[in-house]
This record gives sequence, structure tokens and C-alpha cells, in this order.
Amino acid sequence: MTIEESALLYILSYTGAIGLILLGISAMVMCRHLIRIIFGLILLESGVNLFLITVGYRVNAVAPILVDGKIPEAAMVDPIPQALVLTAIVIGVAVQALALALVIKTYKAYRTLDTQELAQELAQETGTRIVKGTPVYLVAPAGKIVEEKSI
Amino acid sequence: MNLREASSLIFIVGLGILLTAVIKIVAFDNTITGGVGATILNQAPSDLGTANIVTSVLLGYRGLDTLGELTVLFVAATAIGLVLGQRRVDAALEPDAGFILRIAADLLFPFLIMLGAYIILHGHLTPGGGFQGGAILAAAFFIPILASPATPLNHRVSSSVEGLAGAAFIIIGLLALFDKGYFLAPLLGKGEMGQLFSAGSLPLLYIAVGLKVGAELAGLLARLQETEASD
Amino acid sequence: MNAVWLIALPLLGAFLLPIIYRRFMVIGYWAGPFILLANLGIAFEIWRDISLNGAQSIAMGGFPAPIGITFYVDKLALLFAIMVILGTLILWFGKKKGPVQEDTLLLLIVAGGCGLALSGDLFNIYVFYEIVAVASYGLAASRRSGAGYAASLRFLILGALGSSLLLLGIALIYAATGTLNLAHLAQLAPQMLNGSVGLAAFALILIGLGVKAELFPVNTWVPEVYATAPARISGLLGGIVSKLALLVVLRLLVLVYADTSAPLLLLSLGVLGVLTGELAALRATDLRQVLAYSSIGQLGLVAIAFAIPGPAGIIAGIAIALHHALVKPALFMLTEAWGGQLNRLVGAAQVSMLSALLFIVLVLSLIGIPPLPGFWAKFLLVKGALGIENGWYHIAIAVVLIATVIETAYFLRIVRFMFQEKTQQTVDKPYKCDLVPALSLLTIFFVSLFTIGLIGKSLTTVAEEAADRKAYIDKTLPSEKANGNLI
Repeated sequence: MTIEESALLYILSYTGAIGLILLGISAMVMCRHLIRIIFGLILLESGVNLFLITVGYRVNAVAPILVDGKIPEAAMVDPIPQALVLTAIVIGVAVQALALALVIKTYKAYRTLDTQELAQELAQETGTRIVKGTPVYLVAPAGKIVEEKSI
Repeated sequence: MNLREASSLIFIVGLGILLTAVIKIVAFDNTITGGVGATILNQAPSDLGTANIVTSVLLGYRGLDTLGELTVLFVAATAIGLVLGQRRVDAALEPDAGFILRIAADLLFPFLIMLGAYIILHGHLTPGGGFQGGAILAAAFFIPILASPATPLNHRVSSSVEGLAGAAFIIIGLLALFDKGYFLAPLLGKGEMGQLFSAGSLPLLYIAVGLKVGAELAGLLARLQETEASD
Repeated sequence: MNAVWLIALPLLGAFLLPIIYRRFMVIGYWAGPFILLANLGIAFEIWRDISLNGAQSIAMGGFPAPIGITFYVDKLALLFAIMVILGTLILWFGKKKGPVQEDTLLLLIVAGGCGLALSGDLFNIYVFYEIVAVASYGLAASRRSGAGYAASLRFLILGALGSSLLLLGIALIYAATGTLNLAHLAQLAPQMLNGSVGLAAFALILIGLGVKAELFPVNTWVPEVYATAPARISGLLGGIVSKLALLVVLRLLVLVYADTSAPLLLLSLGVLGVLTGELAALRATDLRQVLAYSSIGQLGLVAIAFAIPGPAGIIAGIAIALHHALVKPALFMLTEAWGGQLNRLVGAAQVSMLSALLFIVLVLSLIGIPPLPGFWAKFLLVKGALGIENGWYHIAIAVVLIATVIETAYFLRIVRFMFQEKTQQTVDKPYKCDLVPALSLLTIFFVSLFTIGLIGKSLTTVAEEAADRKAYIDKTLPSEKANGNLI
């Protein structure tokens, strides 16, 4: 491969990685549906892994495997990013599985997957409490007593 | 322009900026060979005797990272067990998936086990290893459950295998601590490169990893399938 | 004694705990605290060892740095490891028996926390950080309530975003230098990492670690999780685990980013955290949320302290961190029975005078009233910041003083509620099993009150040892003294 072709390879690979990262972050930040946020997380992690792999690439190099016990004449790519990405992929899978389990339980509890509605429900629940079955009266800032709605 | 076009423009511009910034700092050709990676490429065959140098990085030079990775998977499986709880009672009463799928799943099972075991055992010779083989083993155990839910996964067996395989990894590391004074040092000599029985204790570590990952992923997937669905 | 046991023992226990629990339930019930006690003993033994022989550098697998992973065991790292083990052990007392997965996750947090404190390799730090993070996502949801699941999910999404950015920062550092070992990076950093690439990598790493360290702006998960998780878990997460993330940031600042403008970034995030945290605490109406926002503020103080270069900043940061680790879990134990709306606490002093006095002492120490330890911690912070010529640090001092005033306002308001005449019974007496951890933390608190001079002296040696960059490099890479370069 010539220098121009290798430069093109690097540029394409980094473009893909950074593009995935940006897409993932924008999906996580802007979407309201929980499953789309988790897809954004998957894209983000894929982008970071691709970035890390591309860091280890060397031009005109082969995989770091010794065939028949002989060291290949061509250079070998950097083995460390490959090991790092293996670890990162497994960690990513673990976190995504836990995220999906939590999404299942959240849906069962609230019947909605919209983050804004969930934020409202959460704010309600953490702002009021029931003590021994009797509703607790809230004192509003103006001094009036407001009865909370029962949960 | 509306929001979609504006966000696309911001995306392209941001991509361009970050790309030019990154391209400036990374290596473009073979002349930059400094760094730890080059040293490992030179030393790994004589230090550890594996044909697959990535395996020597994963289990030799960075064995503690692999132990941490196993632990993260274990933590996630435990947390899912805590969150999802017991299986719902009618999970076993779901209908089977049809004749073709059931027979295909039963036929695939031995081949998947063989493929997974092959990839695990040859992790130090060819690309592959414990994690990849473990994922295939997990698929081998999970596909029959999808095809015929009346035979669910035995969670006691899978969690016992998981725990014992993980403990085996740590115990091999501790044996190295007692024997050589360093945790997870390679044991049992190097052997002849390219043979199945070479590279000392590294294939044993990979077998422990493969069994653990297989049992863990199968249990995790089975729990996700068995949990109470929305009705 | 090899420091690897601090990690291997809880890991082995955690892997085998579900199997043991199924067969011999009694052994399984007591296995967790027993393993933590053994860990504590090992940690004290290692402390004695490094007091005599100096800091240790342990190579994993026998491969020297920078090819392999090394652990650097100095007093600072060991201090934080002991904090994690002791904190989890104390918070285990009187815990209601739950599913075995809770015990497993607690053991795994201890193992991951010790590894995070001791590790000397960037990617290893990332892996241990993930162990702690995923275990805390699981524990935050352990109350099995709908709100708990939603709060834990929000925590997970923010945390996973942060972890991916942390990995991206590590990838940038690896792309620029070709190594991941902290000592080797400390050697190479002045040439390779003092430009915009290094700062960008530091910013990404700071956001990644900032999720756990409750830094602004990624701390929106804190009030929800602390309000819906069990009180012990909130105490553990906020009081103890968050300090570990700041320890990693400190190591990076001392070793890799020593003479750059990176500390200013940490300083600005710390100042913003203090301001937003304390102002939000002023308006909170739920006791757990007040404690959560106050925790954000205190961690902002620790961030400001660690942003001060030199041993003065390190000792201030350690003092505030340890003090907060004693006080906040004890306060959270009180909220087990007293959590909820603030005006429920009217007349709480008549219900249990002991708990009310406990609350007053802890709160006064947080505010910083002499002669309580909190005063010394804040004093060290102000003294350290005054020693720097930079104007930003003086702004930080002003912010710290304003924050103290705000803390006084909202905490004394709560105390006033507690000592009012009650009209109806709205609050229970705290259970004994919840008071036991609080009282044991308070005992340590009072012991430190009376030995403040001794503690100050030993912390000074810890800080000076930690700030010594050259000693770290020389201890970890001994053969590089000649030419200074491995390649």
C-alpha cells in the first residue's frame, strides 16, 4: 500500500470512529425514549472501540500471530489496543445487559419509557413520603398547608 | 433551516474539527515504532511462548485486566440477578417455537459446543480465546431454551460453574504468587510454540475464562428471557 | 505481605459466595464481614511494612513496568483502601439480611475500590473503575422500588457515558505516548502531553471520573439515587466510593499533568460544584436530598483542595475527604428512620435525644466549627489556597466561605425543626441496628478529635510522600535512571 492509500485508510477509519462517537453522544443527550438512549450508548461504545483499534494500526502490517513459529517479515500491528478493546467490548456488553434489565423493571413499575415522564414521577416520589399509611402534610413556602396526593 | 438540518450541520462541522485534530497526532507509517507495543512484539515469543501475541498480552502481561473484565461480567450478572429476581411462573408454559426451529436447535447444539471448545482451546495459537469461545458456548446453551421454553436453564448449575471457574482463575494466579512471588505469573514452562500443549498455564486460564463467560452469559440471557413480561 | 491479597481475597470470596450461601447459609451470612476483617488486617500489616521500608511497587506477573501492570502501594493509596474496607465493614453492622447478591456486590465494591486506589496503570484503573461502577448501579437499585430502578437507570446512563469518555481519553493518551503505565507517562509527559492533546485527554478523563466523583456537570444522578437507595448504600457511595475517583484524578495531576494548566480545570469544576450543591441544598425539602446536595458541595471542596499544587493541597484534600467519609455515612444512617420531608422532623428531639445530639455534632463539624475536625479540614484548605499566587484560587476561597455560610443556614434550620415542640407524632425513633454504625463512626470521630495533632503530623508525611513525583518514577522504573527511556 502506498502512503496515500494508507492515509486514506486512516482517515476513513478515524472518521467512522469519531462519527459514531458523535452520533452516540447526540442520541444519548437528545432522545427521550429509553431504548434510543441505550442505542446511543451502544453506538458510543462501538465508536470508542473502533478508535482504539485504529490507534494500533500500522501500515502494511499483519496480524500479530506467528505462523509455524516464525516471525513474519512484515511488521506486526500493535497488540495492546487489541487486548484493550477485547476487555472494553466485554465490559460494554455487561453494562448494556444491566441497562436493559433496569429498563424492563422501570417499564413494569411506571408503564412508560419516556424520560421526561419518568423524571416527573421520580421527583414526585422523592419529594413526598407516606408515614404509617397516613399522608404527611407538606408546608408550602407561603405557610399554607397542602395535602399531598396519596401514592 | 430547521432543527434536523442544523444538527446535521453541527455534526459534520464537529466531525471535521475533531478529525483534523486527531489526524495530527497519530502515527501514519511504520517509522514510529516506539512505545510498549513494539517491545512486547519482540519479547512475547521468548517470554511466554504463545503464537498469538494478543493472548500473551491478555493473559500474561495484562492478566490482571482480564481478571477485572471477568469480574465486571460477574458483577453485571449478579446485579441482574438482584434486579430481576425469580423467574415468572408461566415462563415454562410458553409455546414451543415450531418443529423446524426445535430440530435445528437440537442439531446445532453439539456443533456449537465443539466450535466453542475449539476456539477456547486454541486461543493461544489462533485468533480467539476464552471470551469468544465462551460467547459461542453461551449461545449453544441458550438457543435450545429459545426454541423450547419448557426446558429452562438450570440456574444452580450455571452459577456454580461460573463461581468455580472464576475461583479457579484466581487460584491459578495465587499459585503463581506462592511459586514465583508474583500474582498471575506464567507457570508450567513454555513448551514448544505452535503445539496445543504449550505456553504453560495460559491455556488453563483461558479454559477457566471460557467456562465462566459461557455459564455467565447463558444465565444472564436466560434471566432476561424469564423475567416477567409486560401484560 | 503482597498487596494483591487486598484484591484477590474479596474477589475469591465474591465468586464463591453464592455457592457457599446455597450450601451453608450460616457461613455464607458471616463470610462477608469475615473477609473484610481479614482484608483490614492485611492492610494494616502492609501499612506497618511501608512505614518501615518505604513505598512498594509490585509488578503483576513478574513483568516489569512499563510492559506489565504495576501496583504502587504508598501511604496515600493504602489510606484510601483502608477507608473503603473499614467503611464497608462498619456499614455492614446491623444490615437486614437480604438476597446473597447484595453481599456479593458489597465485596466486589471493596475489591474494586482497593484495586482502584493501588493501581499504577491507566487501563487497569479503568477496569477497576468499571467494577466499582457496575456494582454501585446494582446496589443503588437494591431497594427494589420503582423509583429505585428509575434512579439507578439514570445513574447507569450517565455513568456509562462517562466511562466511554474515560476510555476515549485513555485512547488519546495511548495514541500520543504509546504507553499506559503511570510512571512511564510521568517520564514522557513533559515532552508529549503538555499540549492541547494532553489537556483534551485530561478533560475527557475528568468527565469520566467526575460521574463517580459527583463533579459538576455530571452529578444530576446524585439527589435521585441517594433518595431512593437504601441509606447504607447512599452513605457508602457518597461518603467513600466518590473519594476514590478523586484520588485517581489527584494521581494524574501529580504525576502526569504536573506543570500544566490542568489543575485549573479541576478547580473551576470544583467551585461550580460547591456553588450549585450548596444553593440547591438550601431549597431542598427532603432530608436525604439535603444530605445529597451537601455531599456534592463537600466533594467540590475536595476537588478544589486537590487542584492546589503541592503537598498543601493534598493534605487539605485528604483531611476533608476523610472527615466527610466519617460524617456523611453516619448522617445517612439517621435518615433511615428520619428520612423524608423536613417538617416531619418537628419535635424529633423529644423522640430520641441521642440521635438529635448526634445530628448536631455531625452537622457542626461539617460546617466547620472549632474545635471539631471539620474546622481543621477547612482551615487547611483555606491555608493551602492562600499560598498560591493565582487569582482563581482566591475566588475559590471566597466561594468556600460563602458555602460555609449557606451550610450553616440550612443545617441550623433542620436543627431548629428538631427542637421545636411537637404537636403530633410524625417521626419514629431510629432503630438500634441503624444507630450502631453511626455511633461507631462517631467514636472514630471523637478519637480523631482528641488526637488531632498526631493525625496532622502523619497526614503531612503522607501528603509529602504522595507529592513526590520523582520517587514514584524511580521506585517503579528502577532501570531507567541511566538513560530515562525504555525504547
